[in-house]
Amino acid sequence: MENPIIELSNVEFSYDKQVVLSDVSLQIRRGAFLPFVGPNGAGKTTLLRVILGLLKPSRGIVKTPFESKSPGYVTQLKTIDPIFPVTIRQIIEMGLYPELGLWHRPSPAQNSMIDGIMSRFSLLEHQHKTYGELSGGMKQKTILARALVGRPEVVVMDEPTSELDEKAESDFLNFLASLSHDEGLTVLIAHHGMDQAATLAEGLCVVNRGRVSIEAGKKPNGNHEPCACCHCQSHESRGEQNEHRP
Amino acid sequence: MSTGLELLIHSFPNALWTGIIISAIGALFGVFVVLRRVVFIGVALSELAACGVAGALWLHVPPLLGAGLLTMGGAALLSMPTGENRIPRDALLGSIFVGAAGLSVFFVLRSAYGLEEVKSLLYGDLILVTIQDVYIMLALLVPAALTLVVFLRPITHVFLDREMSMVMKIAARKWELVFFLLLGLVVAVASKIVGAMLMFCYLAVPSTAALLLSRRLSRVLIIATSSAAFCTLAGLIVSASIDTPTNPTICVSSVFFLAAVAGLTFLRNLWRKKQNEH
Repeated sequence: MENPIIELSNVEFSYDKQVVLSDVSLQIRRGAFLPFVGPNGAGKTTLLRVILGLLKPSRGIVKTPFESKSPGYVTQLKTIDPIFPVTIRQIIEMGLYPELGLWHRPSPAQNSMIDGIMSRFSLLEHQHKTYGELSGGMKQKTILARALVGRPEVVVMDEPTSELDEKAESDFLNFLASLSHDEGLTVLIAHHGMDQAATLAEGLCVVNRGRVSIEAGKKPNGNHEPCACCHCQSHESRGEQNEHRP
Repeated sequence: MSTGLELLIHSFPNALWTGIIISAIGALFGVFVVLRRVVFIGVALSELAACGVAGALWLHVPPLLGAGLLTMGGAALLSMPTGENRIPRDALLGSIFVGAAGLSVFFVLRSAYGLEEVKSLLYGDLILVTIQDVYIMLALLVPAALTLVVFLRPITHVFLDREMSMVMKIAARKWELVFFLLLGLVVAVASKIVGAMLMFCYLAVPSTAALLLSRRLSRVLIIATSSAAFCTLAGLIVSASIDTPTNPTICVSSVFFLAAVAGLTFLRNLWRKKQNEH
């Protein structure tokens, strides 16, 4: 793969003596919509945290563009304590933190960016509400708006739909897939539902017992060629190209 | 009531101004302590401060040095994130409290000072504040509070969402350490000056009332600091007027204030609920 936006080479990660990721090699294309699927405890979240730089691998190399441009990060809804007295506008403003000036106050241009993203997610009229006052769907929109306000190249999401109902979850995943398709955003998402993710993606990154393999998604890529969203080398498939077809 | 205020201004000006400033600083830090859900850190750190004073007396070093070192060490330890499924922070706080309380007794018994003398050093009293205490407060506590205000944004972000902060290149560990070291310093010095119980009151009570009254961080900080100062003033006046012990009177007036706010909040919510039903 030429110029992958994210590249992992022989990455290993262990908690104490328990190996969570084992010899993972993965290349991700710019603009890919790539769900990370697998059973609970398989290592999906750990892999995403290694990609984000939140965890340092015990071995291997992780190459990302995050030094120059911070990624968007969509955490689980419960991460933010609802007693915290901050408005959703202030939460979204946090997504611009690396670009804020000395006193960490947004400039007029940055305020316009915040207005723009709030308007896009229909949050403008709720901007003075606190996180604890929002419904699950609104919380989801707030966290996503925070991830997107800085116009990142990559958005990483850790089980973002775990507290949404089926319809809201489906709408949310469709929206994410359209972000990737229409705006060229690279979307990496840890997701529990393999079937649902497969319908929206050309390829799936299956994480199981710390090992990674790529499986075909159900979304056609138009040219009937093997999926080019990602490339994986693991214990089983090292040296082989992805063979999955739409 | 005016007699009480006049008595304070003329006879206990140090207590008046120290009480108002320390209460505001304690409440400022208390907002973050409550939001972080580590209220009992105040009790543990206060006991560490007392233990540090007792240890310093035994070793013949300045009491404030002992209190500061032990409390800031404890605060640095408590700032470390505990594993999600391993040790609950409450258990750690309880262990530190019990250990510090036991060691304090041990140090006091070993020191050459009289019990009453040691007690007054271990557990300060607002009404007994000296001009030296005022200077210590101005030199240490006011800069600590100003540091918190200057770095409010990164500290708030780290407390709000630690992982996202790290992704946004905010040094979460550094800011947590800065906050808890400042807290340790504030608790050590304030406990020595005004007493551990009153300091714990300032950390927990006004911030809780402020969180009930507002949902904006800036307003919560203003309400917490001003209500802490108000309750201190009210407690001092009542104490001077009807001759009750100062520290407990301030604690009781703070809790009365919290109870009144909680009652009003309950009634307001009830009224809003009924309005919505109609």
